[in-house]
Parts: sequence; C-alpha cells; structure tokens
Amino acid sequence: MVRFLTRRVLVGVVTLIAISIIVFGLFFAVPSSPAKVMCGKNCDAASIAQVETRLGLREPIVTQYTKFMKGIFVGRTYADGTAFERRCDAPCLGYSFRNDEAVTTILSRTVPVTISIVIGAAILWLLIGVSLGMVSALRRGTLFDKLAIGISLTGASMQVFFFGLILLFLLVYTTGLLPFPSYTPFTENPAKWAQGLILPWVTLGFLNSAIYARLSRAQMLETLSEDFVRTARAKGLPLRRVYTKHALRAAITPIVTIAGLDIGASLGGTFITETIFGLRGLGKETVEAVGFLNLPIVVATVLLAAVFIVVANLIVDVLYAVIDPRVRLS
Amino acid sequence: MRIKGGALVVGALAVALTATGCNATTNEGGSGDSGEAKTQSGSISYEAADNTGPAKAVDGATKGGVITVMQVSDFEHLDPARNYVNVQQLTGNLIYRSLAGYVEDGSGKMLLVGDLATNPGTDVNKDCKVWEFKLRDGLKYEDGSAVSSKDVAWGIARSFAPELNEGPHYIQQWLYPGGGYNATYKGPYEGGAMPAGIDTPDDKTIKFTFAEPHCDMPYAAALPTSAPVPQAKDTKGQYDLKPFSSGPYKVKSYTRDNALELERNPNWDANTDPIRTAYPDGYKFTFGLEQQQIAERLVADAPADQASLTWGDTPPAVLPRTTAANVANRVAKGPTQYVWYLGVNNLRIKDKKIREALYYGLDRDAALKAIGGTSAGTPASTLMSPTTAGFEAFDVYNAPPTGDVNKVKEILGGTTPPPLVLAHSNTALRTAQAEAIRASLVKAGFQVTLKAIESTSYYDQVGRKNNPYDLYLHGWGSDWPTGSTIIPPLYDGREIADEGNNNLAYFNDDSINTEIDKIRAMPAAEQDAAWTALDKKLMTDFLPEIPAYYDATHELYGSKVGNAYLSDAFGALQLNKIFVKQ
Repeated sequence: MVRFLTRRVLVGVVTLIAISIIVFGLFFAVPSSPAKVMCGKNCDAASIAQVETRLGLREPIVTQYTKFMKGIFVGRTYADGTAFERRCDAPCLGYSFRNDEAVTTILSRTVPVTISIVIGAAILWLLIGVSLGMVSALRRGTLFDKLAIGISLTGASMQVFFFGLILLFLLVYTTGLLPFPSYTPFTENPAKWAQGLILPWVTLGFLNSAIYARLSRAQMLETLSEDFVRTARAKGLPLRRVYTKHALRAAITPIVTIAGLDIGASLGGTFITETIFGLRGLGKETVEAVGFLNLPIVVATVLLAAVFIVVANLIVDVLYAVIDPRVRLS
Repeated sequence: MRIKGGALVVGALAVALTATGCNATTNEGGSGDSGEAKTQSGSISYEAADNTGPAKAVDGATKGGVITVMQVSDFEHLDPARNYVNVQQLTGNLIYRSLAGYVEDGSGKMLLVGDLATNPGTDVNKDCKVWEFKLRDGLKYEDGSAVSSKDVAWGIARSFAPELNEGPHYIQQWLYPGGGYNATYKGPYEGGAMPAGIDTPDDKTIKFTFAEPHCDMPYAAALPTSAPVPQAKDTKGQYDLKPFSSGPYKVKSYTRDNALELERNPNWDANTDPIRTAYPDGYKFTFGLEQQQIAERLVADAPADQASLTWGDTPPAVLPRTTAANVANRVAKGPTQYVWYLGVNNLRIKDKKIREALYYGLDRDAALKAIGGTSAGTPASTLMSPTTAGFEAFDVYNAPPTGDVNKVKEILGGTTPPPLVLAHSNTALRTAQAEAIRASLVKAGFQVTLKAIESTSYYDQVGRKNNPYDLYLHGWGSDWPTGSTIIPPLYDGREIADEGNNNLAYFNDDSINTEIDKIRAMPAAEQDAAWTALDKKLMTDFLPEIPAYYDATHELYGSKVGNAYLSDAFGALQLNKIFVKQ
C-alpha cells in the first residue's frame, strides 16, 4: 500500500511538472503580450516596455519558469531593490497581472465556491442517479422503470445552459421564489450557503443524475444476469441480501471510477454553471484569465485542476481495493 | 482615447467628457426617456456661486439607503494615478476629489468648477503657461487630518512611477515635454525628488509651470491625476485597494472580483463641495454577473434589486422588454463621447475620390443593426462626437443612412476601384459588423476582403505605419469634451510613428498641422468653435476617413433609484447626486 501510494504520488508530481512546462510554453507561443492587454490606454512602446519589465516578461522564458517554480517551493521576492519590492512566501504562485492580487488569495476565494457547487451537486446526482438506476433495474419493465428511463433520457440530453436558464426564469426572474444564486461561505452561515447554491446543485445534479441512472441501471442488469447472482439465489439467500451484498457491490465498481473522474474534472471548474449563476469559481476565473493572458492565474488554475484529477484517480484506485476484493494495490 | 479591442471592452471605455451638442443624432423617442435629446452647453465656470458648496439639492431627494451597482468585471484600478476608465472615475469621484471637477444635473449644462480648489485654475500670466490652484478651507481626509497641496503634488509625482503608469499623462507630459512623460523623472520613490514645474509655496497653494501654453489645464485638473495622496498613506502598488478618502465616501471593504463597499466618510464636509450631494449612506459594487443576468434582474425589478443600477449596455436580447411602460422609465440612454470610424489608410488609398465613394457606399444602418441597432448608436457625419463642446451637426456629403449606390457609381465614373482589405477585431460583435460593412461596399461595386485580427493585438496591428490593410473599424473618445483630445491625436500627421499610432488614417497635411498649433494656443473658450471649423474643413477638403456612427449607451436602473441621469462628463449613470427613494 505504502509503495503503491509513493509511486503514484511521484508519478503525479512528474505529471504536474510536465503540465506546468506545457502551459508556460503555450503561453509564450501566443503572439500577443499581456502587457498589451493590460497597459491601459497609454499603450505606446515605452509603457508596454515598462509593464513587461514590471511583470518580469522581459526575462528569458527559462528564467521565468525557474523563478515561478522556486516561488512555489521556497517563495520569491518581486521587484528586488526598488520601492515596490515585496516578498511572496511559499507556496507563492505569483500575482495576477491584471490587478496585482496574490494568486493564492484568488484561489482561496474561488476554490471553495467550485468545491461547494460540485460537492452538493455530486451528492444529489449520486443519490438520485444511482438509486433510481438500481430500483429501475430491479423493477425492470414496470411503469416506474419506463418513467425513470424517460426522465433520465430527457435529462441526459439537456444542457446546463438551457436547464439552468429555465430554472432562473421560473424560480427567480418571474416568481421570485428563490433569490439569485450567490455564494456565502459555509462557515459563515450554512443556511445561506445552501440557499444560494440550491439552483446550481439542482441543475448540475439533475443533469448528471440522468447519466448515472442510466449507467447504474445497465450495470445492475448486467450483474443480475451473472452466474454468481444465480448461485447466490439458488443457495437460498434472501433477495435483499443478494442485491445489496453481492450484486450492488459488483455493479458499483465502474460507477465509482466514473464518479471519481467526473468529480475530479468538475472541481477543476464548472465554467458554464458558474457563469449562468453568476458564481465566481475556479472555472470562471480560469477562462477570464485566459482572455487576459493572465499567466500566473492560468498556470495555477490549470495545475490545480490537474491536481484534482490526479488525486481523484488515486482515491478511485484505493476505493477499488476496498470495494472489490479481487483488486490488490501493488 | 482608444477603445481596447479585447476582453477589456467590457466597461473599458475611458473617461471623457461630454458637454455640448445634441441634435438630430441623439435618440429620438422613448417615453420617460431620461436620455432625451438635450441641448448641452458645458463650459468652465469661475462664478463664485458655481464654485461654492454645498452642491445644489435635488428636489425630493432623501438621505439614506445603499445604491448597488452591478458590473460584469471588477475595476482594474481605483488608484488615482492609474484610473483612466470612465466608470472607475465615476467611482473614484466618490472617494477622492481632484483639483477641479464637473457640476452636473442631467440637463446638459455641465460646468467645470473647482473641486478641491476654489476655482478651476487661475491662468496667472494669461498665457496658459502658469496655472495656480488655491485649496478650499475645511478639506479633510477620512482620518480627520487636513488636505494639503503637498499631497496633491505627491499624488502627481507618484503618477510618474513606471509601476503606476496606467492613468492619463497630460499634466505629466506638459511638465516634461519632448519624449516619454517619464523618460526623465520617474517618480518620487527613488530618492524622493518632486517633479520640476510644481510648486507648493504653502499648504493651500499649488502652482504648475509649463514650457508651452496649455489652455486646457482646467480640464486636465479634473482628471484623477490631481487627487491628493498623503505620502504617509501611500501604499504604492496596493493603493488600488484602498485609496485614502478625501471625498464623501471611504472604502469599507473590497474583495477583488466580488464586491466593493463604500461607507460615509464622516470627515467630509458638504459645505466644501459644490459637486456632490452624497445622499446614500453607502454604495455597493458587485462584480461577476453576466450583462444578460444584470439586465434580466433590473427588468424584473425584484425588491432586493430596486436600488440597483448598471453601467453596462443592455444586451440586444433584453432590449425588446425594456420598452414596457414600467421598464422604459428606468432606462438612461444617450450618446457617449465615442465615435466609430471606418478608418481609411491614406498611405494606400491616396485618392480622395475613392474615400468619397466609400463614404456613400457605407450602409451605416446595417453596420449598426449588426451590433444591436439604434440603442448602439446613430449614423455619424462628423469626426467629433455630439458630446464635444461647440459641436455642430453638419453633413457635408448628405449620404442616406443606408448608403447611395448610384452616387458611388457617379463618383467612380466607370473606373474600377482597387481591391480593398477590411481588417477587424475577431470578437463576435466586430466580425458581424465587418461582414455587414463588406456586404454594403460590395453592393456598391467595391471588391472587399475581410481580415480578422486577434482582438488583443488588433490596435497593435493596425497601429503599425506600414500595415497592409486599407480599411479598419476603430473607435475614439475624447478625454475631455473639447476637440483638443480628438483632432490632434487622430489627424496630426507629425505624430505618426512606426508603430502605436492613433492616427490610423495615416493622414498628414501641413495646413492642418499648422491649424492645430494655432488653435491650441487660443484661450479655452475660443477653441470650441475653432475645432468644429477644423472638423468641417477636414471633412470637406480631405475626408481623411469615414465617420460611421456615434456610439450610444443604454443603461437600466431599479425603481427605487432617484435622480438617475447619464453623466455629461463620463457618458454613464452619474453617482454624485443619485439617491435611494424611501
């Protein structure tokens, strides 16, 4: 187990370093300079040069990369020896080109938003999706099954930007039943936190639950037709025990894999959901940073998204061993 | 100033001042339209009555409440040295005061008066070279300490620092003419020296000495550049987050990209301020919503949003719903200081006849329809905006808004015009517009190819002297409401450099250049008519490029917002005299 974890963490770190190099490389391949996007209205050659110097963009790309990586591990000092000198302690991800705010501050503000959206929505889609799928499989061919499949087909074919806008229109703009979504930290006021996020949860949760319902129904049906289920039933085990102890356990493995990847990817940013509901999470931050050629934020958010995926994968692999006794971590 | 081509477009319209004007080009119609065509007659006032506080009260206004301003993006800079965008200046105006400022009431009779100073600047020797400002009595910062003219000097000095270079640089360039504004003096941080040409003989006086006459100094003094920054409170790069208040409000909290909250500055004295009434107890600026969501919410007018407003234009999708009676009376619309041109590269299109043919070939209606129709602007026939002092709505060529194909044929007289390349920024809006323009020119017999340029480098590319394009869309707005920040930057051929040009027509004519110098030396009051005459001469004799349309704004506000009107000076809802209906 320890060896497995060590190896996976090392591979993860190498992946992250490779990603950081690629992002840096891609960034400098863009023909425009962030100084031109950001130097305001006095964009003559002299001001652009001043801004580029201030942002450190006049240094060789390798130097910039080394300084950035150094900042993450031991911190760095900006504007050495001038009146504007400042120390950025490790883990230093630099300062936003656009408004000079520390990237770590930006992340600490936007990451909780995305995590709150994703966690709430994931609970919804797993609870609703998996239970709906399982019950459908067990009551195959009944009205319930057909209804559940019909609804999930509708859900799976809808898009966040469509469903979300309809909910906004019905519940916020016309009836005023709910306030416009907003983010309040959980630690500050849990009730307000939930109230402000209910619409994104429902939107994202409903659409994804449709996919999970279909997936778990198919998995469950497949498992139910396996020999070991027949054996268990032939042995005279109670049906409930057969379903929960034997069939469910086998059917859930692929769902865990997909859920792990989905949640990991969503944590990297749910741009469309965030945009529709006016919530400033990681997704919106990243897309805006790309528009502004805001390198420090782009690198940090891409890296963070990668961390989420790597970690989610790791958790899934560990969970495998727990769920499926045939899997050994080595 | 230039409109940026890229993502900055949202709210990144610069300062500018709107004074006189209005005519057939302003919006017609719309019941309860607070942006009705109005005759503007902005001017500089030295009258004691205009220059003395408190500001004239608004009928029916009540104190209290909080005004919410819903914006798509956070401000880039509130630091007065770095503040160059109109909505940032409207906000900055609540927190700090400049030497001069604009008294407005929405009637179009905007007056430039003294703000910190007792008048908008004394021209000591009547040659526009030495300007003196005397500070009022009783000016205090948020901590109760007195405002000193030395703090104004410090504020200007720090604006030379290369690290704080985003603001306007008029006064700086006038103090250090020839070469870059901060090529010689780089701010007070390295060594503490103050810029040459600024004297503060006592705490109440500040004197500027320029080598050349600058009769526009009262206007330049209204820019945030002259807001006071005490040296002890100067947090340099972090000043953006919390400018030290000399105005009626101070920063209560500021979470970047989320919200800025302002609360009253108890040490501000209304009797020292002829400009601001400061009715609300505070302001809250929220960032991060899409313009569509903001417009939907303001149209819906739910109780929580009734004291809210936005500075963003209503998106076309929401426009049809703004004509309902209960929404139409909550719309502010009118022209901004921007004019959009179909730029013609005079280095490539040297024949005036072809430019004239293009003038008639352009379908201005179609160009506007592509970006939202009449709420986006009105067809233009002059180089200067209707918001410029001394504006006259002349029309030398009398082309119909949809163009005149027969007239094009008549001018070209059977000759084939050269094939043309029309460059445009690759945003959705500009692409649609370029396509509409191309279609209209093709219909008129031109051969036009489109060239999309990445929005962030658009002005870079067309700003290169030897660029390979014949036509390009570009916008320009004045920094203050006179022709002096329109005609010289756009048509003074001596300013043409290898790159970074504003003169995108690459127009250079000695007689025009001489005329520009002549007008610049005139007293401010006489300049207005002279710039208009020069605009007319340029249009008649040269037609350097083709004015396409005057930009317009269309802003929504909630039903509890009182005294909402478009600022003559900034082309967006003015906050200085707004109030919350109780």
